[in-house]
Amino acid sequence: MTAAAVELTPRLRTWSAFRRNPLGVASAIVLVLLALVAVCAPLIAPFPEGYGADTSQPPSAAHWFGTDDIGQDVFAQVVWGTRVSMAVGVSASVLAIVIGLLIGVSAAYFRRLDTPLGVLVDLSLSLPVLPLMILVAALAGPSVRTLAVVIALFSWPEVARVVRSQAIAIVPMPFVSAAKVVGGSSLWIVRKHLLPGVIPVVGVSVVLTTSRAVLAEAGLSFLGLGDPNSWSWGTILHKAQQSGALATAWWTTLFPSLAILLLVVSTTLLSVAYNDARDHRNSS
Amino acid sequence: MRRGVLLAALAALTLSAACAPSVPGSSGSSGGQQPAPSDRLTIGTTADVLNYNPLVGNSRTDSWVTNLMYPHLTQMDMTGKRVPYLATEWSYAEDGKSATVRLRDDMKWSDGKPVTADDVVFSVMTVKKENFGVVAGLITALDEAVAVSPTEVRFDLTRPDGTFLDNVGFWLPVVPKHVFEKAPSVQKFANDSDWVSAGPFKLTKVERGQRYVMERVDGFGPGTPAVKEVVFRVFPDVNTEVLALRNGEIDVIGNVLPPATAAELKNDPSVKQEQIPSLGWAHLQYNVKRKPLDDVRVRQALAHAVDYEAIRNIALKGYAKSSNSSVLTPSLPEWADPASKEYTFDPALSKQLLAQAGVSDLSLSMIYDQADPNIARWAPMVRDSAKQAGITIKLQGLERNTYVDKSLKHDFDIYAGSWAIMDNPPANLGLAFKTGGYINYGQVSDPKLDALIDQAQKALSVEEAKPPIQEAARLIRDQVYDNVLYVETFNVAHNTKWTGFKPMPSELLSIVNPLSLAAAKPAG
Repeated sequence: MTAAAVELTPRLRTWSAFRRNPLGVASAIVLVLLALVAVCAPLIAPFPEGYGADTSQPPSAAHWFGTDDIGQDVFAQVVWGTRVSMAVGVSASVLAIVIGLLIGVSAAYFRRLDTPLGVLVDLSLSLPVLPLMILVAALAGPSVRTLAVVIALFSWPEVARVVRSQAIAIVPMPFVSAAKVVGGSSLWIVRKHLLPGVIPVVGVSVVLTTSRAVLAEAGLSFLGLGDPNSWSWGTILHKAQQSGALATAWWTTLFPSLAILLLVVSTTLLSVAYNDARDHRNSS
Repeated sequence: MRRGVLLAALAALTLSAACAPSVPGSSGSSGGQQPAPSDRLTIGTTADVLNYNPLVGNSRTDSWVTNLMYPHLTQMDMTGKRVPYLATEWSYAEDGKSATVRLRDDMKWSDGKPVTADDVVFSVMTVKKENFGVVAGLITALDEAVAVSPTEVRFDLTRPDGTFLDNVGFWLPVVPKHVFEKAPSVQKFANDSDWVSAGPFKLTKVERGQRYVMERVDGFGPGTPAVKEVVFRVFPDVNTEVLALRNGEIDVIGNVLPPATAAELKNDPSVKQEQIPSLGWAHLQYNVKRKPLDDVRVRQALAHAVDYEAIRNIALKGYAKSSNSSVLTPSLPEWADPASKEYTFDPALSKQLLAQAGVSDLSLSMIYDQADPNIARWAPMVRDSAKQAGITIKLQGLERNTYVDKSLKHDFDIYAGSWAIMDNPPANLGLAFKTGGYINYGQVSDPKLDALIDQAQKALSVEEAKPPIQEAARLIRDQVYDNVLYVETFNVAHNTKWTGFKPMPSELLSIVNPLSLAAAKPAG
């Protein structure tokens, strides 16, 4: 109704609404900074390995985040942890989105597939995710790749469900019927009409799935299923817990936890801000 | 049940009240209700008792509880030498084909019947017949056990075996024949109620997931225990146990403290730590059937690429001793070989050895149990020091069952682990290094080593067994069939309110062994 009245493209309007939300902008900046830290880790701190004489030192000028029980710098661990945590988060989320999109769109467009795929999604959603993740990760052996795949395998159903509900509203639209009438192939219709319609929800999904994947990675690594050859925030927590110094060496747990908190809060705020900005009915 | 919980809550309340600074004018504890602290010794553990049948059970908590109920023939002193418990004297015949054990005559089962030679014979013969548990693998030489008199047992052996008495004495719990023989299969007998026991304490109440209450046995042979009641309380992990100890909720932490916790608790005046030597050792084993690990120079290169000192000082916080790269550890001074020298940490020498062997770009994977906190801490240190010698080690921290499975199937390049209890070198080296031995993970097969171990096992005294076993240990060191990193010094914490514990080696015995708990008494 209102769409016809305003000349601005929807994308520009969303952008201008988003810019006016300070929380959203701040979150975006935090995420960009975290991404920068992940990419530039080698420039910021040396890879944490080996061992030193300064064990379990509280934060100081030499060691900003203190040192752990074998004398490694916690700051370096957190910096390098950002890399693995975000890499696992992003790749797991991309994988989950691809699977979710495929299944969601097919369920909406090919009506005959709707029921079986719906059952599959419901089934996957009702699985006890954590124990299964632990089982699969334990059987497959700990590595960064395993973690990403395992997390993706258990995160796609939510994406699929969101995509399907959005797509199912588009399928009966006149322009889809028109495309069918002029003889467009299913693939072409899905590509040209269905996908553009669901991309905005997917945008939000990407961000949220990433943050969930980062949390899942931290959880699995904390349980000792992380890759022992690399550092992630969960691995730092796991090592802190294992050293038995949780109660005294607070710096070994505080900083990685803060990093996780920062990432999850900013992704959540970002997606909320984006959603609000996209919903033009609210922006006066 | 409910009353028990209430009582525990009440005890906790009064205890915390005792710890809190007293408020003037509110003399609440008007006598009477507070249980005398000397009446109960509470021990923290991290697991429930899963098996009450001492012949089967093998978890640590299982052993701690059942050890207080079922006597063994012997215990050991701090140097690993056997000391009397149910047995007073033991010896081999001249030809080594039989062994005789004399028993105390003052031990009674809790139903009033005496503990006799028949019970010992029944216990050992049942294990042999049904072939189960740890003991079965250690008594392969046994032919027949005979009760010569109520206080004398004779073991007839098929071959001279100088390890037999040590093994049977230490590992075999003696169970009441008149109770266990009623079970169609002793191996499957749960023994989970109406216990008939003969140790210093008897199990009277079980609250799964909460606590196990054991009452003192008056007239216990070696001396009536000073403390009336021993309670095992179940906690989720060592961290919570430490908090409980500091709050005065428990008196002893059964589990070994992680080195970092031990270092931190050192400054707490209300906690005393007993240093308990480990009977095992932490080590790296190389799969000698895999190329290029079949070349002794490659194994030596690996041995020179480990910073042993750093592992002991940093990962173990100094709570570990060097074993001089020998499988005869300082915990058993009777056997140890003072001439053995530890491999030096020398990456340059490693590189040289690798070059001699014609190996370049050596890349190996190393498996370990991700849940073992000590190993998880030093595994990356092994990787990083090897890197200095140009060797790439890829860590594979595995979930425990996968790890055990891979070890038994010899599916690894390097195995990082630790052995818990190696109390008798001739017997244990046989299991670990003889061709086809049950825990010979590295697939060592060396006829010379086999012969030396056989010779040591036949010897009937330490003096006689020592030369061949020391030579075997030197062979194991020089050929790097095993790379011994350290022998851990366990720290077991208890409240300073208690004293008189009799520490024994290994975490199985430590200060919660029956003779120690029977001797424990309130301080001051």
